[in-house]
Amino acid sequence: MSDKGKRKLRGNIEGNARALATGFKYLVEPNRMTLDYPVESMKLAPNYRGFFTVDDKKCIGCSMCEMVCPPEAITMIPRVISTTGYTLPVQQGATQEAGAKPAKKTKRPVVNWGRCIYCYFCFDICPVDAFVSSNIHDLAFYNDADYRPSYEEYLKLPEDPVKKSKKVIPKPDIKRGIKYEPAP
Amino acid sequence: MNLNEKVYDISEVGSIEPEGDREIVLQIGPAHPGSGHMRIKAWMDGDIITKVDADIGFVHRTSEWLSERRQFIKAIPIVERIMLPDTVHANLAYVLALEKILDVEPPPRAQYLRSLAAEINRITSHLYGIGLFGIFLGSSTVYMWAFGDREPFIDLMEMLTGARITNSYIVPGGVRWEMPKGFKEKAESTLQYMENRFNDYNDMWVKNPVVEARTVNVGVVDRNRAIKLGVVGPNLRASGVDYDTRKASPYAAYKDIDFEVPRMDHGDTYDRLLIRIEEIKQSIRIIRQILKDIPEGKIIADSIYSQLNPVMKKVFEQQQRVMFPAFFNQMRPASAESIARVEAGRGEIFFYLRTSGDKYPYRFRWVTPSFRNLAYFTDVAVGYKLADLPAIYGSIDYFPPEADR
Amino acid sequence: MGILLLIIWLIQDLLYLIVFPGLIVAMVLVILLIYLERKIAAKVQMRFGPLYVSRKVGGALQSISDLLRFSFQEFILPVGSDSIAFLMAPGFMFAFAMMPLIFIPVGPYYSYLFPSTLTILFSVALITITPIYAIIVGWASDNKFSFIGSLREALLVISYEIPLLLSVIAMVIVYKTLNYIPAVAFQETHLPGIILNPIAALVFIIVAIRSTGRFPFDITEADSELVMGLYTEYSALFFGIGMATPYIELYALSLIFSLLFLGGWWPASGHATGLLAGLFMPGVMVIIKAFIVMIVLVFLRAVYPRYRVDQAIRSGWERIIYLGIIAVIISILEAIII
Repeated sequence: MSDKGKRKLRGNIEGNARALATGFKYLVEPNRMTLDYPVESMKLAPNYRGFFTVDDKKCIGCSMCEMVCPPEAITMIPRVISTTGYTLPVQQGATQEAGAKPAKKTKRPVVNWGRCIYCYFCFDICPVDAFVSSNIHDLAFYNDADYRPSYEEYLKLPEDPVKKSKKVIPKPDIKRGIKYEPAP
Repeated sequence: MNLNEKVYDISEVGSIEPEGDREIVLQIGPAHPGSGHMRIKAWMDGDIITKVDADIGFVHRTSEWLSERRQFIKAIPIVERIMLPDTVHANLAYVLALEKILDVEPPPRAQYLRSLAAEINRITSHLYGIGLFGIFLGSSTVYMWAFGDREPFIDLMEMLTGARITNSYIVPGGVRWEMPKGFKEKAESTLQYMENRFNDYNDMWVKNPVVEARTVNVGVVDRNRAIKLGVVGPNLRASGVDYDTRKASPYAAYKDIDFEVPRMDHGDTYDRLLIRIEEIKQSIRIIRQILKDIPEGKIIADSIYSQLNPVMKKVFEQQQRVMFPAFFNQMRPASAESIARVEAGRGEIFFYLRTSGDKYPYRFRWVTPSFRNLAYFTDVAVGYKLADLPAIYGSIDYFPPEADR
Repeated sequence: MGILLLIIWLIQDLLYLIVFPGLIVAMVLVILLIYLERKIAAKVQMRFGPLYVSRKVGGALQSISDLLRFSFQEFILPVGSDSIAFLMAPGFMFAFAMMPLIFIPVGPYYSYLFPSTLTILFSVALITITPIYAIIVGWASDNKFSFIGSLREALLVISYEIPLLLSVIAMVIVYKTLNYIPAVAFQETHLPGIILNPIAALVFIIVAIRSTGRFPFDITEADSELVMGLYTEYSALFFGIGMATPYIELYALSLIFSLLFLGGWWPASGHATGLLAGLFMPGVMVIIKAFIVMIVLVFLRAVYPRYRVDQAIRSGWERIIYLGIIAVIISILEAIII
């Protein structure tokens, strides 16, 4: 810490005036970036990685998604599929159905929402592209058990909790950074 | 009240006994507004700091241990979560190391997209640093401004990758998503917005007399000392060393891109603030070049693409979304080792990966910039006043989880 | 008859102390000011500010809900603290911050509880008492951060009291009185004090920012260094009182500023008697002026970070004190001319 090479401070009055003027400029013309959240909410882009489900018709039960899932959120649960295409848990069995061919044993993925990190690796590893994405994002559950849906619950996407709010789309703007325009 | 009386034994690690009557030992953190997720032990003689010890490890996330017990592909989200303000760089560093072992070369367009994501990420990372520096000096305005201005860039990342922070954008062989339509226009207006905002940052923050008084000639590290202490990244360049991994060993598309490495002379806290703003300006320049020069072509290496099944190829043609070939699940690279170096927002990430032919990495080791800058912080704060401690701490842009890994 | 007059006089004074410029109005103004401070900072900082408590009025009841929260929080007495001093000091601090209001008139026909012609002197003297209790707070807390905060407070008080007195002395020299009422009368016949001696006004404003801990002199409560400074160990209502005290001080200093520099009750100084025109209208005028001063001072939060303690002390001794002396010299010259 020698005095040699120490820097000099600039003049004070101009700096103070400019700082105060800038503050005053934003006080008069505020450029608000926050969204008035539960009243307005963003309409997320179609490629947004939100809650997802699986297309039961397409899924072949290959377990690739279970293997690739980094947080080990996906579990393959055993299913029995009858010829009518209806899925039933193994315990109930499906062979009783009259006139049905012997049922096929298979597996289906179920996601534990408490573990899922929405990396969408399961989407990309799926050999038949069976996963269906949604842009539902703002959802939390009240009970621990709700984070682990059954297969039937998993097939239905959860309801968007901010469905009733005013949907806006963020648009980049030269003056304001982000402009929230009402969604069509 | 006797200040030297040890009423509570808070410390379990190391001695905190003050020496003599003049000394006080301050335990700043881990629950303190100015410490982050770590404990700074400061030995004070009056208002002067005589010794600083950083007690880290409060947010240790066992990233190396976890990654050594998982398939190679699963390490991507893990490394991202260590460097949350800087996810793309962590992802990129790991994938570069893995690609060397797998012997995959991504196509030029993927290289450009990687650089694009990395530069957007660098801007958000620097804004994060500037914002936290602001709150450490007591200016909540700059804190809010920087975090607000991060938002348009995060929106760009969301448009590109579908997620705001944890993008998981880069995979061996390329990137996962094509640049969406309309991205160039949106990026351009965001960049112009940021360029206009620099005037306000200058008036309100950089040239504010109080900021200058607090930062100029505080925490000075000259060139030789910076090299000796092993400083990396913007902090090194603020001390006048012309070193940038993007120039020293170019990765992604940086060989083809024309940019400058900003450098400062004094190495004080003020320079470490200025260099981040200069780097944002350079990043804006790089993004403009990338958007102009980006070549057409595939975003995934042919060797990966050829292993996709017909359904996946169809998906790629329709949605421009790269799916993973099945071997991503069961990657068993031959026994080899590789390193990768990436210039992240806070400095150079060094990555070492050793494989043994198994489906898990044999050794997974990385050194993050914040860890290297920590040694620097404990060394440089000595001799300054207590009020300079947050200024210096804020200016090195330290991110505790990144150092703890 | 005499007793009746005495009772009326006492009631008037009690009303004065407790209701109109005193406790209740002061508290209402402080609550409003804290809300406005947060809203102003939010506007500059690209966000909403308080909104969710009482959404229909833009979150104006946020400060009241905070006050309620402080009232019902658990109070924690630290083990190592000097409990009597710890409990008493915030109350004394608050009381002494209110005390100058006794001597600050808000109208020309104001009768004092303590009749005096030295009101300027008394009010300024009382303002300088509060920091002593701030030092006791820091000492009693048995916390290193509180202790450092109180040391900083002590150092700053020493370096900023003299400029405060110098700036007041400068105005006293111009007005040739130690009483607020003739001082305001002087401004009505001549010019407002801020035009007569702008440097004294500047010094007074800087000292007001300093002694109420507004930015950029928010040094004793610097949160990134000292957690919450003096009040680190406080909780519940005691913390609330500690937090409100600087605002009450700010109120008193702003009242003094508007009386000494902004012409006091100047446009509303009708020479009528009676409760409305004689006491209420001038009082409202003074308080409006003081409130504008307060808003300007809280706006600084949105612009400045904080100085280091040694820089603040150095500027106190190296710059502000000379400005104070220059102000006195200007005043002497003016006093000779006028």
